[in-house]
Amino acid sequence: MENNYILEMENITKEFPGVKALDNVQLKVRKGTVHALMGENGAGKSTLMKIIIGMYTPDKGRMIFDGTEIKLTNIHDGLDRGISMIHQELSPIPEMTVAENIFLGREPTTFGGFIDRKKLTSMTLDLLKSIGINIDPNLKMKELSIANTQMIEIAKAISFNSKLVIMDEPTSAITEKEVAQLFRVIKSLKEKNVGIIYITHKMSELYEIADDISVFRDGKYIGTERAEKLNKEDLIKMMVGRELTQLFHKPKSKFGDVVLSVQNLSANGHFQDVSFEVRKGEILGFAGLMGSGRTEILEAIFGLRNPDQGEIHIHGKRVNIKSPQDAVKNHLGFLTEDRKLSGLFLPLGVGDNMITVHIDNYVTKGFLNKNRIKSDCLKKKEQLLIKTPSLEQAVANLSGGNQQKVLLARWLLKNPDILFLDEPTRGIDVGAKSEFYDLIFDLANQGKAIIVVSSEMVEILGLCDRIAVMHEGHLAGELTRKEATQELIMHLATGHSLDELDNKLEVMESILT
Amino acid sequence: MSANIENIKQNPLNDKQLLKGRSKNVMQKYGILLVLLFLCVLMWILTPHFLTVTNLVNIVRQMSTIGIIAIGVTPIIITKGIDLSSGSLVALVSVIVASFAQGNYPLLIPILMAVVVGVAVGLINGTIIAKGLLAPFIATLGMMTAARGAAMLYSDGRPIGGLSESFKFIGQGTILGIPVPVIIFALVGVATWIILNKTKIGKYIYAIGGNEHAAVTAGINVKKVLILVYAYAGLLAGLAGMTLTSRIASGQPQSGLMFELDAIAATVIGGTSLFGGIGTIGGTIIGALIIGVVNNGLDLMGVSSYWQQIVKGAIIVAAVYVDSRKNRTK
Amino acid sequence: MKFHKSIVIILSLIVSLVLSACNRGEQVAGGSDSKKVIGIAEANMSNEFITYMIDAMKEEDKKHSSDFEFVYTDAQNDSAKQMNQIENFISRKVDAIIFNPVDTVAAVDIVSRANEAGIPIIVVNRTFDGVDKATAYAGSQSIESGLIQMEEVAKQMSGKGNIAIMDGEMGHEAQIKRTEGNKEIISKNPDMKVVLQGTAKFSRADGIKLMENWLQTGEKIDAVVANNDEMAIGAIMALEEAGKLDEILVAGIDATPAGLEFVKNGKLKVTVFQNATGQGKAAIDLAVKAAKGEKVEDQIIPYELVTKDNVDEFIAKYNK
Repeated sequence: MENNYILEMENITKEFPGVKALDNVQLKVRKGTVHALMGENGAGKSTLMKIIIGMYTPDKGRMIFDGTEIKLTNIHDGLDRGISMIHQELSPIPEMTVAENIFLGREPTTFGGFIDRKKLTSMTLDLLKSIGINIDPNLKMKELSIANTQMIEIAKAISFNSKLVIMDEPTSAITEKEVAQLFRVIKSLKEKNVGIIYITHKMSELYEIADDISVFRDGKYIGTERAEKLNKEDLIKMMVGRELTQLFHKPKSKFGDVVLSVQNLSANGHFQDVSFEVRKGEILGFAGLMGSGRTEILEAIFGLRNPDQGEIHIHGKRVNIKSPQDAVKNHLGFLTEDRKLSGLFLPLGVGDNMITVHIDNYVTKGFLNKNRIKSDCLKKKEQLLIKTPSLEQAVANLSGGNQQKVLLARWLLKNPDILFLDEPTRGIDVGAKSEFYDLIFDLANQGKAIIVVSSEMVEILGLCDRIAVMHEGHLAGELTRKEATQELIMHLATGHSLDELDNKLEVMESILT
Repeated sequence: MSANIENIKQNPLNDKQLLKGRSKNVMQKYGILLVLLFLCVLMWILTPHFLTVTNLVNIVRQMSTIGIIAIGVTPIIITKGIDLSSGSLVALVSVIVASFAQGNYPLLIPILMAVVVGVAVGLINGTIIAKGLLAPFIATLGMMTAARGAAMLYSDGRPIGGLSESFKFIGQGTILGIPVPVIIFALVGVATWIILNKTKIGKYIYAIGGNEHAAVTAGINVKKVLILVYAYAGLLAGLAGMTLTSRIASGQPQSGLMFELDAIAATVIGGTSLFGGIGTIGGTIIGALIIGVVNNGLDLMGVSSYWQQIVKGAIIVAAVYVDSRKNRTK
Repeated sequence: MKFHKSIVIILSLIVSLVLSACNRGEQVAGGSDSKKVIGIAEANMSNEFITYMIDAMKEEDKKHSSDFEFVYTDAQNDSAKQMNQIENFISRKVDAIIFNPVDTVAAVDIVSRANEAGIPIIVVNRTFDGVDKATAYAGSQSIESGLIQMEEVAKQMSGKGNIAIMDGEMGHEAQIKRTEGNKEIISKNPDMKVVLQGTAKFSRADGIKLMENWLQTGEKIDAVVANNDEMAIGAIMALEEAGKLDEILVAGIDATPAGLEFVKNGKLKVTVFQNATGQGKAAIDLAVKAAKGEKVEDQIIPYELVTKDNVDEFIAKYNK
């Protein structure tokens, strides 16, 4: 009997000590389709994925794969049957080649037991060609961009002759142009009748790629709909269990004095001759492709890297910032891009994570004033709605959105005049995002000057009063919120000037293909 | 704050999960104390001589040298570092202090020398590490060899005896019936506890171990803190060397062999994570006492020294295993 | 830029350190004219006894400095390192080797290599099975010290009592042989028995600890017999603190200056003098003769018993 579904999960229940992670959920994935999985963090998506690939065994429920009921006991079991997963955090072996990475542990061998390099290369070439990627199989992984690394992970997943591929937020680290390439690959997989489970937080790409959408909330299955029948508002309602009238606020037009002014700042190899200014109460966005120098500009201003030339003025006075200590003294705050790498002290408690920057204020006669620390931290916890049972709770146990709020609280305690937010909502769910946007608007209204770097076009367009677009280390142009559109930003970010706008059609094409 | 944010209901599952995680932490916190009590009961059952006041005082006094060093090493390990030089530093301090404890120097001079030599060696370690010249393992490995050599050179490889009676008080005397080394051990423990828990620098130490990169970004002067941490460890190793020298009434270039490893073992048994960011002074003291109780109990039972080494090794491995599990489950 | 500068600074620091260390060495090994060369491979220059032996050797080698060059190496108690050092001596074709073995098993192999190369090899201080293959041996018989020590303890205790044996670092030749000697005597005295045995690693601090713990066992101890003086002194300090030194006799080996001091004031009842000076002198003497092609024979330097009665003559030896 011909079965329409590649995967049917029925009545799945999984309990961890004290927590019901999945409560009688289901999921049916059609062959040759992209099935998007939506839900806030902690909804049970990743637990379900771990069951599908064989990492966890469910307490209850049936799993039917390609028409037969199966029970997986480990990941290899899953791989053998044709189930593979591309994890959100990539784990290539940087010193090995593309081909070696893809066929790690399964290398073709010659008679003597040696690796058959020729065959390995040709196998890889065939594989990459079949999904339309053009990468030299003999390059080392460390030489590839993040996007290409992602492509290789996908190729690897397919190389197991997978019938079902799970992609966990595959676009969280790549730019829009690279997303287009990824989507091309996904389309070619669909043509091969492969089923794809696609986890994402990004609404825009959801509608571009998904055929079906399933929503989970609090470990429960909420429902499945065809993508074309489900509008955005209804989807968000399903996800957060409430109406979300609008994500962003109306733009402001009046700002205060110039707070930060940067003139001709250069750091060789990263960015050249960048000048801009931010005013009190203004949100300035930095858009651009990965590696265009956005983050590096913030780091240079903040004393994390040495600029080769240029001047920085704060409140009209020239400053010389050599280290983050200097930056903090000059009323700067920096919410960094990767909260686990350069933000959080994972083993420490929520309170200890909050007070790091402002700690000097709590020292009396050499000792810390615990009561004042506690009351200030509790105030921030309430103000920012941080969900944690206590201030002693290790920050590692909090959800991504709450962790990000803890880091924001760290800087707000210090109350800086200028706040840098680098990818402020990366990897946090829609509900938490909207809370975070509200916080950013609040801060701007309080008179902070804010710079946002983001790879999410919607975020840049929705949040910022003014948008600076970077291209290969140069400031390609500045747009006000009114004049900015997604196409215009991409136009600048890909190295075209505004004067060439006549060729707009051409540009659109280059973005979409 | 806009109205729709307040509408978000707290997620009950998540909170329960968090509470669960917390009670587990409490178990981990007191688990090591339970291990110590269990070992004490075990020794008490196995040998009637264990549970006497004299014997218990002996255990604490015997462990005070390693304990003092371990208390200094704890902040280093919390910053994700390591100090392999403390044993050799004990030897170097031992011979230098002994040479100033002969004859008519006032007691203050040898004490001062212990402090100066300890801090100086610690500063060298800290500076090399903080400036990013070398990883802590390599930097202190080099110092371990060099300090031992310096101790040999200074003393011609021979013990230095003839120490003054006043100096011997540090290691052999008692105050109100409590041996002086135990008092030093306790004072050092309290002081370090205060530094780690009640001061800014303490918070910085945990922060650096939790995430050095984030500490830099948060405006912490990481280099300065690291230098201080290593200097402090040097200071305590110096005090330990001085106490030991007085206790054995002789400055010996061969003393302190493997002390660094015993100190690291005590620290790790006490729950300090080699991955950084986690550790307490209370745990370290208990860790040192666990080693002391095991050594003492096995001696009392007349267990052969070969077996003693095996048992000690097993305890260290078990402790580190538990430590790595703890990190994995997070 | 900065980085390169610091490398230059560090390298120059290292070079200057190495140079000054060389200058402090008595003799820089170099290919100098027609002098004969004697290579001396010491087991561990941070061992106190060996430092006294080296002092004697250096005193003695001055007499031959016009015709001979003496090259000292230190294996730092590492037998692999010692093997390399001996190999280096062989490959530079020294005229004789003085060999103070780290490892008494590997020693056999080392001796046969020197023999194959036709280089005379004089074994000093530590003996081993197969030492007869060497050109000559200058030193004592390790087991003898354990015998002498225990014989005197038995005599002072009138042949009866409970003995606690304090071992040195387990597996060392001195620990094995001395304890073996002790037990040989004990077995000849039916009224004596070993009630406790444990290691204090040749160290005073560990001696204190072990004695403290022994006192807590409640076992009746009449004598503590230690493999060396340092551990014996540790035991004495612990006993003094417990007020029990009057009841328990303590014996050591080595007759170090510290040990002799304790014999002098009556706290250490027995120690055994191993003649470091005699061994060092004999070794140089034998090596010089062998290098000249003269025939040499073993020189056994006897151990000497030290008690309060004769302690002054040994103290005098160190005060020369």
